[in-house]
Amino acid sequence: MKPRESAGGLERNRARWGWAFVAPGLVFFSIFSFYPMLNAIWTSFFNKRLLSLKAPKFIGLQNYQRVLMSEDFWNSARATATFTVGVFVPLFFLSLLFATLITSMKRGKRLAQAALYSPAVLSSVVAALIWLLMLDPRGLANQFVNWVGSTPGIDHRWLSDGWMVQVSTMIVYVWKYLGYFTILFITGIGKIPDSVNEAALMDGAGPFRRFFSITLPLLRPTTVLVSVMILIQCMKTFSTQYLFTQSGAPLAPVNVITLNIYNTAMRDLNIGKASVMSTLLFLLMLGLTWIQLRVSKKDEAEL
Amino acid sequence: MKRLVAILLAVALVAPAFAQAPTVSALKGKKVEIVIWTHEDSARTALEKRLIDEFIKANPSVTVNYVTYPSGKIKDIVVAGFAANAGPDIFNLEIFEEYQFIDNGRVAPVDYKAAGFRNMKDMQAKYMAGMLDPVIEGGKIYGMPLELTNWAMYLNKKIFRDAGLDPMKDYPKTWEDVMAVSEKIVKRDGQIITRRGFDFRYPYYLTSVVPMVEQLGGELVSKDGKSVITGDAAWLKVLNYFRDFGPNGKNLGSPTYTAARKVFDNDKNEIAMSLSGLYQEARMKGANPAFYDSGEWMVVPYPQWKDAVRKVPNNYYGHYYMVNAQSPKLDQQAAWALLGYMLQHGEEYLDKVAIVQPTKALFDSKTFKDTPYSDVFAKDMADGHIVYYGAASSKIESLLKEAFESVMLSGVEPAKALDKLRRDTKAALEDI
Repeated sequence: MKPRESAGGLERNRARWGWAFVAPGLVFFSIFSFYPMLNAIWTSFFNKRLLSLKAPKFIGLQNYQRVLMSEDFWNSARATATFTVGVFVPLFFLSLLFATLITSMKRGKRLAQAALYSPAVLSSVVAALIWLLMLDPRGLANQFVNWVGSTPGIDHRWLSDGWMVQVSTMIVYVWKYLGYFTILFITGIGKIPDSVNEAALMDGAGPFRRFFSITLPLLRPTTVLVSVMILIQCMKTFSTQYLFTQSGAPLAPVNVITLNIYNTAMRDLNIGKASVMSTLLFLLMLGLTWIQLRVSKKDEAEL
Repeated sequence: MKRLVAILLAVALVAPAFAQAPTVSALKGKKVEIVIWTHEDSARTALEKRLIDEFIKANPSVTVNYVTYPSGKIKDIVVAGFAANAGPDIFNLEIFEEYQFIDNGRVAPVDYKAAGFRNMKDMQAKYMAGMLDPVIEGGKIYGMPLELTNWAMYLNKKIFRDAGLDPMKDYPKTWEDVMAVSEKIVKRDGQIITRRGFDFRYPYYLTSVVPMVEQLGGELVSKDGKSVITGDAAWLKVLNYFRDFGPNGKNLGSPTYTAARKVFDNDKNEIAMSLSGLYQEARMKGANPAFYDSGEWMVVPYPQWKDAVRKVPNNYYGHYYMVNAQSPKLDQQAAWALLGYMLQHGEEYLDKVAIVQPTKALFDSKTFKDTPYSDVFAKDMADGHIVYYGAASSKIESLLKEAFESVMLSGVEPAKALDKLRRDTKAALEDI
């Protein structure tokens, strides 16, 4: 009995230390993430105005009803979905392509990674400001596209046309996050054992066959992680749309949910309605995270 | 004798600049800290810090924490501060944003005695007629004007001559003239504009575009407050004007080009006309003193339509200094005393910052009269009215932007945009 008791004691001791190490993180998370989340959900049931000194009135699901019946919210849902799809496709495939190319490079891997990753270190605000200068009618974007297409003097209206401004926000995002997701794919590819690739090589498999039959299936946990991360990142997009609309771009085409939340809270001072939109967005992202965890667990079990 | 009169006159003129700050007896020996949040303006900051130092010298138990924020961010910061019941003692915003603070009981009425007035009537008597109206609620005054601004048309004479126009004769008097003159001045590289004749100040639709509608008999909110967006013909005419002006029409300007008033000061043959306030003169003097001194610019009144039914110049808007109602009473008293002292120096604010505090004393002063084109601004201001303000004014401003820019940039039919604007404005007012 004694050895078992001492093993249990050691376990408990370890658990205590574990809690001690995790506690600061838990406290931080509880104060700055968990409490605001619960507070937003609670607030969504009240008619609460940001500047009002009166006690907010409980109105049940009325805010939800108002938001879900508003044209404005559904336009935001459309803008978010368009942006998400428009970013997801190029960002996912370009990251995978660049990761594969960089992994197969014999020289200059680090330089290529650093060059591709550099926009990710910029803050979103700085990135948007740089692109604002380039997308100005007299900026580099028009000059470059007109030079490539031999179409001098054409204004592609990157910021003023409803369709083009959506494309512009997507370009900024893909440019900014391409390096980050490429690095994730490079890490995933690096985890694939060399022996598997070497065996396929000895069996006479060419580079395409190896990529589609070896790399891609074994990269599944990374592709799921990257997909979910891109989707969540896209749903949280704010700075680019905010700065573009502040600089004269039309609001409706790029009025993503986060921007709508900001305007409803800070401009219209309706924190109840803004909380509803935050809650809906939170539930959507929670769903995506749940899918990612499920798939990751399934992958672990299969391995 | 003449010399004595000259010395006395000089002393009288200079005296206000060296006015002794008042010692507030209630503050004696009591530690008071006043926090001020205001927008960035280096010239004003320098002046106000000096005035604050003078006030502190006279009231050594008072400390003042003067904090500035970028103009684009201060509203969010002030709102967030008040929402957390941690707002500053003193702050200023534009009136259509400040109104919500009055409406929600977040600001304290002026302590007339502390601010240097005998009573409310005395304070009103010292300001130009109507200038305190936006901050009067329930028979009390809730703010002291830091600045009241209206815009007129700045014009570059060189560019006019370059386009074969005589600036003194051909300057635009009507909106039809603005379009015609812009067509003569504009230069493009293909579709890309390299020189604009005129461009609007986006997105200040409440300040600068609603008057165009009012000139034609339209209204944003009817006088009885029961209907919104009245006078469809007027609204449609202005919406059509924007469509013709924009990239889908005559391609004379657009919100995505660099702001007109910013490039105007550069004098680099980029824009001939822009709308701005008297304060622009100080900015021009700072940014491009050679152009300021060249005599190659002038200011003309805000244009009117040829078939205008009434004269409506550009709306004026204001920043009022307000005091937090949640601050302790003694802090409020100190805050009003400090504001009263600071805002006694209207001529210095005009001279050093080029902002206009609408006091009778300032409008009668030599400093105001000697400021180039101050008469143009004063006349337009006398004929105009304050910008629309109310609990939903920020939302309405964004709805106006959406309506006008959907017509100008996205090819939406003016009638359809107008219907949506009316529906959304009504909903915004009902949602308060």
